[in-house]
Amino acid sequence: MSLALFLSVFLIAACGLIYELIAGTLASYLLGDSVFQFSTIIGCYLFAMGIGSYLSKFLHRGLVARFVYIELMVGLVGGFSSSLLFLAFAYTEAFRLVLYVVVILVGTLVGLEIPLLMRILKERFEFRDLVSHVLTFDYLGALGASLLFPILLVPKLGLVRSALLFGIFNAGVALWSTFLFRGQLGGGYGLRAACFAVLAMLGAGTVFADRISSAADNSLYADEVIFSRNTRYQRIVLTKWKDDLRLFLNSHLQFSSRDEYRYHEALVHPGLAALPGARRVLVAGGGDGLAVREILKYPSIESVTLVDLDPEMTQLFTRHPVLSAMNQHAFSEPRVHVINADAFRWLDGNPDRFDFIVVDFPDPTSYSLGKLFTTTFYRLAAKHLNAGGLMVVQSTSPLFARQSYWCIVETVKQAGLRTYPYHLYVPSFGEWGFVIGSLVPYEAPRQLPSGLRFLAARNIPELFSFPNDMQPVPVEVNRLNDQILVRYYEREWKDIAR
Amino acid sequence: MSTISWDSTLASGTRRQFLGLAPALLLARKTDRPIGGAFVNDSFANGHRLRDRAAFRASSRQIRVPIVIVGGGIAGLSAAWRLDKRGIRDFVLLEMEKQAGGNARWGENDVSKFPWAAHYLPVPAKGESLARELMEELGVFRDGKWDERALCFDPQERLFLHGRWQEGIEPEIGSTPKDREQYKRFNDTIAELRATGQFTIPMERGARSSPLDRGSMGGWLADHRFDSTPLRWYVNYACRDDYGASAEDTSAWAGIHYFAARDPEEKGPLTWPEGNGWIAQRLLEKLNRYVRTGAGVYRIARDRSKLRVFTEEIEYIADWVIFAAPTFLASYIIEGMPPAAGFQYSPWLTANLTLDRIPAQKGAEAAWDNVIYDSPALGYVNATHMSLAAHVERTVWTFYWSLAEYTPQQARTLLLAKDWNYWKEAILNDLSRAHPEIRQCVRHIDIMRWGHAMVRPAPGFMFSAEREKWLKPQGHIYFANSDLSGFSIFEEAQYRGAKCGDIAFR
Repeated sequence: MSLALFLSVFLIAACGLIYELIAGTLASYLLGDSVFQFSTIIGCYLFAMGIGSYLSKFLHRGLVARFVYIELMVGLVGGFSSSLLFLAFAYTEAFRLVLYVVVILVGTLVGLEIPLLMRILKERFEFRDLVSHVLTFDYLGALGASLLFPILLVPKLGLVRSALLFGIFNAGVALWSTFLFRGQLGGGYGLRAACFAVLAMLGAGTVFADRISSAADNSLYADEVIFSRNTRYQRIVLTKWKDDLRLFLNSHLQFSSRDEYRYHEALVHPGLAALPGARRVLVAGGGDGLAVREILKYPSIESVTLVDLDPEMTQLFTRHPVLSAMNQHAFSEPRVHVINADAFRWLDGNPDRFDFIVVDFPDPTSYSLGKLFTTTFYRLAAKHLNAGGLMVVQSTSPLFARQSYWCIVETVKQAGLRTYPYHLYVPSFGEWGFVIGSLVPYEAPRQLPSGLRFLAARNIPELFSFPNDMQPVPVEVNRLNDQILVRYYEREWKDIAR
Repeated sequence: MSTISWDSTLASGTRRQFLGLAPALLLARKTDRPIGGAFVNDSFANGHRLRDRAAFRASSRQIRVPIVIVGGGIAGLSAAWRLDKRGIRDFVLLEMEKQAGGNARWGENDVSKFPWAAHYLPVPAKGESLARELMEELGVFRDGKWDERALCFDPQERLFLHGRWQEGIEPEIGSTPKDREQYKRFNDTIAELRATGQFTIPMERGARSSPLDRGSMGGWLADHRFDSTPLRWYVNYACRDDYGASAEDTSAWAGIHYFAARDPEEKGPLTWPEGNGWIAQRLLEKLNRYVRTGAGVYRIARDRSKLRVFTEEIEYIADWVIFAAPTFLASYIIEGMPPAAGFQYSPWLTANLTLDRIPAQKGAEAAWDNVIYDSPALGYVNATHMSLAAHVERTVWTFYWSLAEYTPQQARTLLLAKDWNYWKEAILNDLSRAHPEIRQCVRHIDIMRWGHAMVRPAPGFMFSAEREKWLKPQGHIYFANSDLSGFSIFEEAQYRGAKCGDIAFR
């Protein structure tokens, strides 16, 4: 019996500390500046506990029932605290207000707990022992919670579920108390019913915890997330706002349906239209099929080979009604061959030659991706060109990442190709750059396929002209053993983000 | 009113509490997967038979051959390479192990090829004509350019320090202005020493007797007031990595040689998934017809002008012997040979870990060479680093441990005394400092124990009379092992072997 009592002290102490830690962690996570967040939250929380302790003297009768109600309230407010805070961040402007209200509310309720419990227990123990044991278990609970939180709770359960779990503990203590103190309570059926109601609410919360986190995930993207999946290779997220559909791979925007035509027309046509009679095309990357859609506008094309690592990505753009409509069902065309393989290795092990090669990889954000922007890669790609063929390379932004862009151009040149850099404006991306690499001199096409929305033959020469702020800068060449590009890129995009 | 009877209630209560908690804790911790593996390529038995002068089977037949090369490591293979180049076809190379290659041996499984020891060749500088010549022959050096696929991909090295990975292994995280001042002064001092021209590869080209050899590298650092902790760690790491000995047990001349001998014009080193096993394989492809593996030489005897070379199958009657096995073995094999006094060898432990999953990383991206600060081991090399693939899911790590914290004798005893499970745990515990989830990623660990992995350039050894004594041939027996250079690196083995191949049978 006595141990049971002190165990509940242990539990409620643990719960109290967990809510405080959750608030601090969440605020640091969402707002940054962890020193500030933790200091102010701990301060407010302790102060609120003081308020609770002070208020406890105004409670006179029915202490056990009040204790049970307080436990239930702590369980509810604390248990739902992180869900509430996540949603507040995602859907309101008043995150800070909600944060401090929750902290003060939980703090006040927790501050009431121990004084009340001591008064309930004062008849059973000598005061000397009571203070000693209650405080001992109080501090033990705090230690347990503070160790459990970083080691087990955050990594295994996450913030939403951890809060709910401890809410359940609080409600459990409440229910337990109705049995422990039944002598002091009288009937208590109403109380127990309340306990079960709160437990049911918290239990339901844990079931929906996933939805709460994904609703919060929504807030990281500006628009509504309509699809998200972690594949073996990447995280694919699709968002939609009115008629704007956006694809993100590992949180990097790949296209916006409103202006992707600009990007893909500029990627394909300046090169391919200059190769009348081109028959075989290779697309490396570009698993959305949008470049393939442009390529299929040439009746002379006999085969398009698309090599993309992720089968889930190409399947999505084959089967999904909205997405396959975007690429005009390119992947269902018999002329199109989709190969899910690592592009570098596939090229290395395959003897096929092509008239036109589209190199459309994600930006060089890591050394693994940076390999696809090296002299070795371009030299290998050039070996797969038919005489007179050419390739075009997605080359990041010549405005935001000027050195990175010219580094790619220089690297293509070092691989033994003539280079023809060009750029355009894509509203969702900003200024964007490509470079044509060719074994023979390239001449801009005079004619384009009909029905293009962005590109007209008369404008093509303009693409090849760079204003002052995008002019070439001195750069080094990107090589497998010295990936200077990854370092340029990291520095330049970091400067933009600032 | 009673006070609580602590003893009984709390005791029983805690147990209950524990029993209640235990399943939760067990659930939370993913169960570690079973890890397979064994000791592989053990060669103690053969070595100890020689040492104990055990009885060997008498050879059943005799073959006359002008030249016998003893030992199929890089030195022996390089001797064969030169002989073959000179148009000499009448020789054999005898290797005790089932697989030739010595320290450049390699392995392969369903995930990747991997090295068993030596895993790189620094890009040979202009003066290293032999290494360049070989690389040209193998197509790695062509028209003045190095093969981009053989130059170690970026990022080459990283260091786990203060809870995260940094690029490069010179400790940067948490370094103070004093540390950085000492790094700079250290590099300046090394540059001055490099300019003296006495630190060359091969070492014989520039080496001249130096008082530096009399002291230890650790002592040299102290004398030059290099007391920065990370700098001392870094220098000590270099000595353990290249010589298998701590800075205190390494000759200052040799310690400086590590830093001062190289000034490459290209960012390297040259490496392959199977490390120097790639070079060994190319050499073996060229020289296969001369190589006899599983042919341990247990005795070499002089018989008038001939040399009788005994293996358990065949006795070779030769005019010349190129002894490319470790020099300390000479006194056990060659009749009348005194022990190789002063030659000390560092024992090593290497392991290949097969990973089904790459553990999560904190900080710098995975590199080729991955080092953990303040670990007794030397870190690991990633065999799939030289893959062109942008996405790698499974890999093999080669783990290196020179056991430099023990004396060679203690370390050898430990290597023999402890079982595979002991070393497996030691390796996983070491790696878990940087990769807490390593036990959920590793499927297999094979461990190789090297009793005498490399010669140790202990203080005084580089310019000792003992070492120089062995440089001279004994009649028609030439000594070719890299240990004659005082340290065991590819270029020295190649140089010693090739030199003997050039002069034998003239």
